[in-house]
Amino acid sequence: MSGDLGLEQRYRRVLRLLPGYYRQRWEEDMVAAFLDSWLTGDPEDDDAILEFCKPTWPEVASVAGLAARLYLGAAGAPRRYFAWGQAVRRAVLAVMLVHAVLGLEVLVRTAWSRRLFGLPAPPASLVTLSPGGVWPTVYHVVNVAWIVVFVTLALGHYRTARVLAVLAIVPGLAALLQAQLTGIRPAPFGPWAWWVLFNLVPVAAMTAFHRDAPPAARLPWLLALPAGYLLVFGPLLALEATGSSAWLPDWPGLCCLLAALACLVHVPRAWSRQADGSGVWSLTLTLLGAVAGAYRIITLSDYWHDPHLIKVSLAELLMLAAAAALVAPDAARAQAATPASPLLPSLG
Amino acid sequence: MTGQAFFVLTALADGPRHGYGIVREVEELSQGRVKLKIGSLYGVLDRLATEGLIEPDREEPHDGRLRRYYRLTRDGRRALAEEAELRAATARVVRARLGLTGPAAAGAAG
Repeated sequence: MSGDLGLEQRYRRVLRLLPGYYRQRWEEDMVAAFLDSWLTGDPEDDDAILEFCKPTWPEVASVAGLAARLYLGAAGAPRRYFAWGQAVRRAVLAVMLVHAVLGLEVLVRTAWSRRLFGLPAPPASLVTLSPGGVWPTVYHVVNVAWIVVFVTLALGHYRTARVLAVLAIVPGLAALLQAQLTGIRPAPFGPWAWWVLFNLVPVAAMTAFHRDAPPAARLPWLLALPAGYLLVFGPLLALEATGSSAWLPDWPGLCCLLAALACLVHVPRAWSRQADGSGVWSLTLTLLGAVAGAYRIITLSDYWHDPHLIKVSLAELLMLAAAAALVAPDAARAQAATPASPLLPSLG
Repeated sequence: MTGQAFFVLTALADGPRHGYGIVREVEELSQGRVKLKIGSLYGVLDRLATEGLIEPDREEPHDGRLRRYYRLTRDGRRALAEEAELRAATARVVRARLGLTGPAAAGAAG
């Protein structure tokens, strides 16, 4: 029972947030420094402090922040934590890339619908956002903001990217709450799943971009923005413009298929066991596959009325699971625990 | 170098200190502006130890527990001197741009 614990035990319980290798190295020292910061030297006061006081929330937060930095490790961290740190950073960059490509698509649609840059009149089948009004304006601003978030993150301006990302997810939440309160909910679970899985979770996971995090490979990530648009949304836009988009999967299905395709492209590297860093990419793709799969599963509930759509969705899930299974062993190897190197020389 | 790391190295510049001793020294050096939590302190100490800028000095028993003292390494002393010079140079530029250098500024300030 927590009520029976003294200050020292309570603090040791907080320290359990930290990885084992780190506790082994620093726990006793941290406890000694923590108790020093509380004790007064007066035996009566100290007995009361040790019995009744609890670690303050800022103190707990500082340990939690340290734990996040250690679990999502940088170079020098044990292999498992470095692999997780790199995989989460790459997965976050990939999700931000998806947002940026979507933002680019909105800009292209807007430019086309307004016939900017000498573009011809768009076909009637092309869906465009009607101009004017508060929400469409906010929608455009947010989409441009995601492009800026992705670019600043890829360039290593982590703090700016984090602040902009937090601002970018707020309008989405406001729109969802408004729809919830006014009863306008065409698909009850899909929009919430998108907001949680592709907005809230990756923005929270931006914690992985701490000051020790190694910089991302800037050029490949920046080139992935136009490449991603041309390879994915270019053909989609063309299909929509020609009125032949009826057979295309919905957005959660497309996420599943893209994640499955990325896994399949990576399979030769994952199976070669020779390629440097393939395991971290396998872990990244497994994480992305898990997010896409969760999105698909949650949005299934929006299709209960249509057995055909349910079957199609399950087929997409199956393809994703099969592709992810091909890289999963390599992902598991990447996070295989190795003992931490003794960074602090021992005394004596 | 982060502000916290700079203060921690400075706290160790005149001799070894234990964890809470560093916290107190940093608070005093920063005139109360930097109050390190223990989690933050050991994040900084771990990073500085990994970079070879500090190392354990000794352990002393205190109230039934061992206090571990840390000291600057040769690299740590050099890194701190370089950072101090860099910060001093920046401060000189700022003071010059604000017109806070020279006797006139000193007189106006007084």
